[in-house]
Amino acid sequence: MRAILLHAYQREFSPLTGEGTDHQRGKNSENTVSSPARGDRTEDWVREIMGKYLLKRILYGVVSIIIVVAIVMVMIYSLLNRDLVFSNDSAFTRQSSNAQVIYKYGKWEQFGYLDYVTYQEWLNVIAANGEIDEETRTEAMNLGRKPESDSDTVAKYVAQFTEYYESQGYTVTRLNAVTSGRKVITGGQQALFAAKDLPLLGRIWDYFTGIVDIDNIHKAAEVEGERGLTFTLFDPLYGGNQFAPAIIGNGTEHKYLLYFDGQFPFIHQNFATIQLGTSYSVNQGVDVADTMSVSQGAYVLKPITFPTGFQENSADDLHTAVYRQGSREALEMNTVRFNDDYTVVNTIKGGFSKLGYSFIIGILASIMAYCLGLPLGVLMALKKDTIVDTLGKLYTVFIIAVPSLAYIFIFKGIGGAVFKLPTTFDMESTSKLIFVLPIVSLALPSIANLMKWLRRYMVDQMNSDYVKFARSGGLSEGEIFSKHILKNAAIPIVHGIPGAILTAMVGAIITERVYVVPGAGNLLTEAINKYDNGVIVGVTLFYAVLSVASIILGDILMATVDPRISFTTKDR
Amino acid sequence: MDFDLKNLGMTEEKLFSFHEHSDLESEKITAPRYSYWQSVLRVFFRKKSNIVILCLFVFLIAFAYIYPALTEYNRFGELLNPDAKHLSPSAALDYFGWNIKYILGTGASGQSTFDAIWDGSRISISMAFICGAVNMTIGVILGAVWGFSKTVDSIMMAVYNVIGNVPYILLISVVMMLFKPTFWTLVLAMTLTGWLYIAYAIRIQVVIIRDREYNLASKCLGTSTFKIAMKNILPFMTSIIVTMLATEIPSYISYEVFLSYIGRGISEMTLGRLIYEAESAMVTSGWEFEFWSPVAISAIITVVLYVVGQNLGDASDPRTHM
Repeated sequence: MRAILLHAYQREFSPLTGEGTDHQRGKNSENTVSSPARGDRTEDWVREIMGKYLLKRILYGVVSIIIVVAIVMVMIYSLLNRDLVFSNDSAFTRQSSNAQVIYKYGKWEQFGYLDYVTYQEWLNVIAANGEIDEETRTEAMNLGRKPESDSDTVAKYVAQFTEYYESQGYTVTRLNAVTSGRKVITGGQQALFAAKDLPLLGRIWDYFTGIVDIDNIHKAAEVEGERGLTFTLFDPLYGGNQFAPAIIGNGTEHKYLLYFDGQFPFIHQNFATIQLGTSYSVNQGVDVADTMSVSQGAYVLKPITFPTGFQENSADDLHTAVYRQGSREALEMNTVRFNDDYTVVNTIKGGFSKLGYSFIIGILASIMAYCLGLPLGVLMALKKDTIVDTLGKLYTVFIIAVPSLAYIFIFKGIGGAVFKLPTTFDMESTSKLIFVLPIVSLALPSIANLMKWLRRYMVDQMNSDYVKFARSGGLSEGEIFSKHILKNAAIPIVHGIPGAILTAMVGAIITERVYVVPGAGNLLTEAINKYDNGVIVGVTLFYAVLSVASIILGDILMATVDPRISFTTKDR
Repeated sequence: MDFDLKNLGMTEEKLFSFHEHSDLESEKITAPRYSYWQSVLRVFFRKKSNIVILCLFVFLIAFAYIYPALTEYNRFGELLNPDAKHLSPSAALDYFGWNIKYILGTGASGQSTFDAIWDGSRISISMAFICGAVNMTIGVILGAVWGFSKTVDSIMMAVYNVIGNVPYILLISVVMMLFKPTFWTLVLAMTLTGWLYIAYAIRIQVVIIRDREYNLASKCLGTSTFKIAMKNILPFMTSIIVTMLATEIPSYISYEVFLSYIGRGISEMTLGRLIYEAESAMVTSGWEFEFWSPVAISAIITVVLYVVGQNLGDASDPRTHM
């Protein structure tokens, strides 16, 4: 019967594996459950072995995460048909002929499939390098309608372009003008470009080396004044007379590298930023990590003073200022407000971030599940074969067998009609009642799962020999129960707790969709539907890290709770 | 010791006559005749509720396969007839006259909800059974090898840790996008890695009983590994496999419903797609039947499948045969 134990399905789908947010997945735990501890081990010895073992586990975890990301990259970049990107793109269908081909390559470059260089871009680059003068550049730009009609200069540079890029492994394509009579049709302009698929290994290397981005004072292209970091005890944003330590950079990408403010976790740093992959279609140009962690909802306006002294009711968070070259000059709006090119700021919004909503709902659901599921499981085991047990069993059968979508809708229907609870999430609403139904919907299946397993573990323990022995030795039922059965039965349950906490962040696909919760659960499905490769890879990495971490943490917690479990059993 | 010899029903001479010693006879063990599968059936049918649920099971399966074959389901039944759309059961029965087709009302294009449900059930049940058969066959065989061989174990553990972390939805979506979203593509997507989890569960069972004393004894007596696997371990696993099957098959229907809901379903009208397409009907008063009836039928089908499987699993555990 233990097979099912490790293969348990709980029917709410977590995006982690597509299976249930199943705290009993028991991956790896098989290796760690072992015979009772040998008596001669000392604390230090244990700690040393555990350190080594953990290091090994973490290394294995990192390797498997890298392989997972590689597999996902192969799937989305190599296996999928690239033309699918355009299946819902109206801008693509509106174009025709050569313009469509060029549009296609441009998009593919943005989606990260290939490296794409046009002849014109190349000419501009070599002109900027000083290899050709402005006049030659202008002349060479005039590509003929067909290769035969190129002028000598053009032919020379075309040959040079072709030779250079073909030696680099690019495919050079020349599109002849599409004409109707003597006129070139719309979108039928001639074109010359080179394109090369990005190699997988290079892609993986670039991705993993780019995850942690360390800010430095040479990032900004050109700044006024001297590049460097300044430490101040009086943050100028608070008027310069209030005690608030901050590190301000000049020449760095972020203006404020370290600062305090009133938002959780109160101290913020920008020295190192996490970049999981830039979104293309889900949240254009924004990194996945930001998509998940920036606040949503309505702007929170408050009077603020900009660096120039300009005052306004605004939601801008000036601490988040990021450098963008020439941005102060480009817009009058920025000229009025800022003294330098650090003009790109985040805004403060009233709601939580995607992760925030998912985490609040997930963590409260987990707490509710453990608070209700454990006592109910104990009750079922104690009152085995009575009406309480039968009702509990009926409930678990219902949760296991009925499709999750069906029972979530049933909960929604009951909650809306009988308890008059709001069924659609609204970030503007001040009522906390909107959280109730998503939390309950998420908790009810976990309760069934916990009940089922705790009951089984307890019944197993009750029938075991040591309990019979304890009873024959004269221990009272209460003692046997609290000191032996419950303690032993709770050990496998403990393994799932870190997982329950960490995967709460991931969110739940169906629940969030059904109740329109603006959480992180739907990010992956949305990214898949929109072919947003950057987001798919970023989200996969995030999930893989969480899942590996929760298993390792679960093993550690289990070993701390149960002294019989050691990490040192290679000899089995 | 007072025995009433008359009660034994034998004459005194017969009772105290000398018995021929036979070496062959003495080797035989006297025990009641025991047939495994007969005992499974006997235990299964001992509970009256099992007979009811089995009848329901047979009825549901038969209905899902026979009914759609007899009636031609027309998805766009009364598309041009505005009066026939979104009718509640009573309105539909009034409108079309009494017919089993219309006892659940009509849908968005005037089609019969009842027909749609059974057509969808047929596809969903077939899909679940095929996926179950494929995954279980591969999973059980590979799981047994995985549990037996230590080299295979280390390789498969690494594979399991990697593949277990590839988001399942992504995998299914990629497969569905690679090929046309048809029935067989869905089966492929579900079986591509689905066997791995079953194999893992089987592996644990094999590891647990592989080194038990009775197997050790068997090995010492010279039994071949194959015979140990077939005679010692496989019978032990039957109830586990049947119980797993009971959880697996409804889970495929659940998956299918889920995939349709996130827009990754197949083009045929399955149960999942019916629920997905009728979602908007749930909140429209008067149309609720279109949504709740596929939900209810899918719930009934999965519960019946699960309960039959669980009880059969219990009955196939030899410990219940006493």
